[in-house]
Amino acid sequence: MENILSVLVFFPAIAGLLGFVVNKESARVYGITVAAMEFFLSLWLWFAFDGNNAGMQFVEMIPMIPDFGVSYYLGVDGISLFIVLMSTLMTLIGMMSMNITKNIKNMVITLLFLEMTMVGVFLSLDAIIFYLFWELSLVPMLYIIGAWGGPLRIYASIKFFLYTFMGSLIMLVGMLFVAYIYHDLTGVWSFALTDWYALVLPVSYQLWLFAAFFIGFAIKVPMFPFHTWLPYAHGQAPTIGSVILAAVLLKMGTYGFVRFSLPMFPDASVIAITPIAIIAIIMIIYTAMVAYAQKDMKQVIAYSSVSHMGIIMLGIFAMNAEGIGGSVFQMLSHGIVSGALFMLVGVIYDRRHTKIMDEFGGLATVMPKYAVIFGIMLMASVGLPLTIGFVGEFLVLIGFYQVSPIMTILAGTSIIVGAVYMLSVYKKSFFGPITNEANKTLEDLDVKETMSLVPLVMIVVWLGVYPKPVLEPINNSVKAMLSFMDEKAITQEAKDMIKVAKSTQEIK
Amino acid sequence: MENLVYVALFAPLISSLFAALFGMSPRQTFVGIVSSVLLFVSMLASLILAYHVYQTGMPIHVTMMEWISMGDLFIPFGFLVDQVSVTMMSVVTLVSTVVHVYSIGYMDHDKSFNRFFSYLSAFVFSMMVLVMSDNFAGLFIGWEGVGVCSWLLIGFWYHKPDQSREENPSISPSWAANEAFIVNRIADLGMLVGIFILYWNVGSLQYDEVFAALPNLSESILTAAALALFIGAMGKSAQFPLHTWLTDAMEGPTPVSALIHAATMVTAGVFLVIRANPLFSMTPEVSFFIAALGTFVAFFAASMALVNRDLKRIIAFSTLSQLGYMFAAAGLGAYWIALFHLGAHAFFKALLFLGAGNVMHAMHDELDIFKMGGLKKQMKWTYIYMGVASLALAGIPPLAGFFSKDAIIETAFNEGRLVLWAILVVTAGMTAFYSFRQVFLTFDGDERYKEFGIHPHEMYKFVLVALSPLALLAVAAGFFQGAFHDFVTRLLPEYEMSEHTHHLALILGAIVLVFAVGGIVLAYKKYAKGLRRDEKVENGFLYKLLANQYYIPHLYEEIISKPYKMISDLMWKNVDLKIVDATVDGIAKFLYKSGDGTRKMQTGNLSSYLNWMAIGGILLLVVAMLSAMLG
Repeated sequence: MENILSVLVFFPAIAGLLGFVVNKESARVYGITVAAMEFFLSLWLWFAFDGNNAGMQFVEMIPMIPDFGVSYYLGVDGISLFIVLMSTLMTLIGMMSMNITKNIKNMVITLLFLEMTMVGVFLSLDAIIFYLFWELSLVPMLYIIGAWGGPLRIYASIKFFLYTFMGSLIMLVGMLFVAYIYHDLTGVWSFALTDWYALVLPVSYQLWLFAAFFIGFAIKVPMFPFHTWLPYAHGQAPTIGSVILAAVLLKMGTYGFVRFSLPMFPDASVIAITPIAIIAIIMIIYTAMVAYAQKDMKQVIAYSSVSHMGIIMLGIFAMNAEGIGGSVFQMLSHGIVSGALFMLVGVIYDRRHTKIMDEFGGLATVMPKYAVIFGIMLMASVGLPLTIGFVGEFLVLIGFYQVSPIMTILAGTSIIVGAVYMLSVYKKSFFGPITNEANKTLEDLDVKETMSLVPLVMIVVWLGVYPKPVLEPINNSVKAMLSFMDEKAITQEAKDMIKVAKSTQEIK
Repeated sequence: MENLVYVALFAPLISSLFAALFGMSPRQTFVGIVSSVLLFVSMLASLILAYHVYQTGMPIHVTMMEWISMGDLFIPFGFLVDQVSVTMMSVVTLVSTVVHVYSIGYMDHDKSFNRFFSYLSAFVFSMMVLVMSDNFAGLFIGWEGVGVCSWLLIGFWYHKPDQSREENPSISPSWAANEAFIVNRIADLGMLVGIFILYWNVGSLQYDEVFAALPNLSESILTAAALALFIGAMGKSAQFPLHTWLTDAMEGPTPVSALIHAATMVTAGVFLVIRANPLFSMTPEVSFFIAALGTFVAFFAASMALVNRDLKRIIAFSTLSQLGYMFAAAGLGAYWIALFHLGAHAFFKALLFLGAGNVMHAMHDELDIFKMGGLKKQMKWTYIYMGVASLALAGIPPLAGFFSKDAIIETAFNEGRLVLWAILVVTAGMTAFYSFRQVFLTFDGDERYKEFGIHPHEMYKFVLVALSPLALLAVAAGFFQGAFHDFVTRLLPEYEMSEHTHHLALILGAIVLVFAVGGIVLAYKKYAKGLRRDEKVENGFLYKLLANQYYIPHLYEEIISKPYKMISDLMWKNVDLKIVDATVDGIAKFLYKSGDGTRKMQTGNLSSYLNWMAIGGILLLVVAMLSAMLG
């Protein structure tokens, strides 16, 4: 199938449109079926994908506005492949675990549109198309938080929307400027990313452009100090919203850094290493402390997301294959683990209608299955070896060690502070005697919840023990990107910082 | 032989998964039996491998599959069975098998019986990964794995509530579990850094490649790597200042304390130093630091054991103290002696703990030795076991502890570290005293438990039988010193006493013995007849200092836990909400307000529009003029 990428992008949207005529009672089943088909399509993409080819595959290109070089241009490589897979998986799992009764049909359709925008962002190779999907993804999320959220939902959704929207407008200006320079130099307009890659820009230009893209991506990640929209969004969003937001939408920011900032502005990226590492370390330690202070279980997970995104940011700017590859893997790992943790918070919220941990205590006694799955996800979250969480975190830290041992030690405190807040959540909620009468009669996980959580547990263990099938394509693409960056970099400092893996050099 | 490696490694994992299948169902004895049998299989495989390595002298090296490969980093799941690891495998599986059988009896009233076996076997699997891996990353898998199993098992009785520190020094099982995990994580960061240093300087994490490359590295890198790895070892082996978790870990069920917190996991740090001996031999400063810290901990922990009243905590302190001895030996370069003491200690300390478990079982979980006494009538076998184990611990010939501990003390003398030597000798006396204080207070003298209406009874027969291998080894392990030396020094560096020390060996041994016997006699005089409490001593400063563990747990709470909590709250409520978020909202409000303000210009009144237009026109003119003048 040649145009599988287009199918992947538009199948959910078309199915979503058809969803309007689906009976309300069967909307949920319809949604799950579509999401499952989409997931199998993405699995198919993986099997058809050539892991040894580091470049773009399944490329589709249809000129749309030829005068301005805007074209419908899709492609997939080792970096984007698994993020797409993770997006379709989490949409499916989220849909399966969903227990919304109000306006379920609207929710299903919204989710399918959201899936289109997510897949579209990760597959686009044209800046304008990328930007379209990027902005479109805000709309369904705005609706999900605003319509199904908690008491502060309007405030939270508008804050989310305006904040990220403002950032991406600045990014758009950056994009237009790149296209302008491209036109200046070559005489033709192009928004194709692959054309942009070939552009060698002076360092001063790179710095300005890096800053413009940075704001767009950093707010999305979210990086400190642009992170405050996140706790509100998570706090108010329904479970399904939080799952998608944490698992997929945040990854758009970090993916943007890998896809745009690094290969387009290698010299500026090298200059930015130290400032970004400092921000990343602040994210890791500071938000871990804030997470520890929370009383609301969901807020702990929300802040922990920021902390883990700090690790991802650090790895991206390690400028070696270990770090960047580790970051890409950590994006998947964080997507699965934080998604699962938000679902787990949803489980207890559905039963008790509160997320305040003081209300819980001793849950392990009444809900043993729930406690076991929560425990496994907790361990994955604190990066226990042989779970998915370790591989990425280890690679990121080992990668960044080459850049700065001191900063790596500071960032490495993540394994301590992460354990502090996660274990304290677990102790407060699951351990001790049952003090609250309301908790004595709680029911353990039902079939629906087990069905949606167990696959995630299996992935957590599988990719922790045998990450090779995922690491290999990532590794190839990252190594190719690094040697490209190394060639493209103008300044000697950047060439020194960007470490091309020995194994790629040998091939040459 | 390769298959046997996998049998030894994976039998405990299968056992764990099997027990996990029944994890949520009520107690089923066969789960315990199947687990024990699988552990026994693992033990047999380990012993056969040990015999094989002994016969051929050749290590067995298998690579199962690739684990992580990224950039230039390549980490396989590889396992190495050589003299050192096979010794550890044999010790670990032997003690584990006994502990599994023991637990069938000890946990028989616990409703989470099946879950217990799942955790316990998972621990053994992690420990096997730790000792068998052929690279540092694999070691780290096991390292973290045992940490998690330890967390699960310390917090096994998670339903117990938190108490104040006065009521229960460990607060609660779940608290103690979290403390152990977090403290170990602090040390693990050091370990990770050590791994990173080695990787970026060697380009590999395989033991053989790393050790082969060490001579090419600069001294500062070697020192940094050794120090970082040793920080990791300090956490797992609970060396000062990361020692507080070990005594709190006694909140776990007693078989756990015997297996994890005495015989196996806590010795992982010592194992690491022995395993990485090429690195530590090249860094004399770090090695001396290890020896000095070990000696200090030996004394420091023994001092706290002198006055403690808690049956299990006394043994925990003695474990800490003996770990200090092992580090002293390893730090002084006598790696094979450290390993020998590690093995001997595993046997008698596990026996001691399991004996203590029998007492607890009899005394309905009472732990205060001041409330016991005279138990030897009811519990003859337990008395004999604990007596033998204590004699071995005290270093009385011809029991195991005599040979191994004496060798360590002699090493200190041989190296000319007379201060260390003196401290270790005095500590040996203290060890004998507190061990027998405990034995006499528990088993001899007046029967104080009667006041509390407890009717003690001896443990099940099969449990007592299961303990016999440990008792046998505690008695006889010392006689294999020569054979053991020949076996492990094929891999580990040879260490022999100098001529001078050799001449003095008898006198040195006699000095240690005098201290040990002196300690026992003193304990006998004070406690064998019954408990006579001396209010004056108990209210003395020194006694209180020791009884409160030098107030170190309080100190940590005041200078670490509480400030961390406070700063976290501050960060959230004041920084995150009031500064970062308020700025964002402030910008939004400003935009909103300014929009709202300018909206009022839209009055619909034509004359005010004209006014505004005039003002705007003038402003534009001014700007144009200014730019013309400046430009």
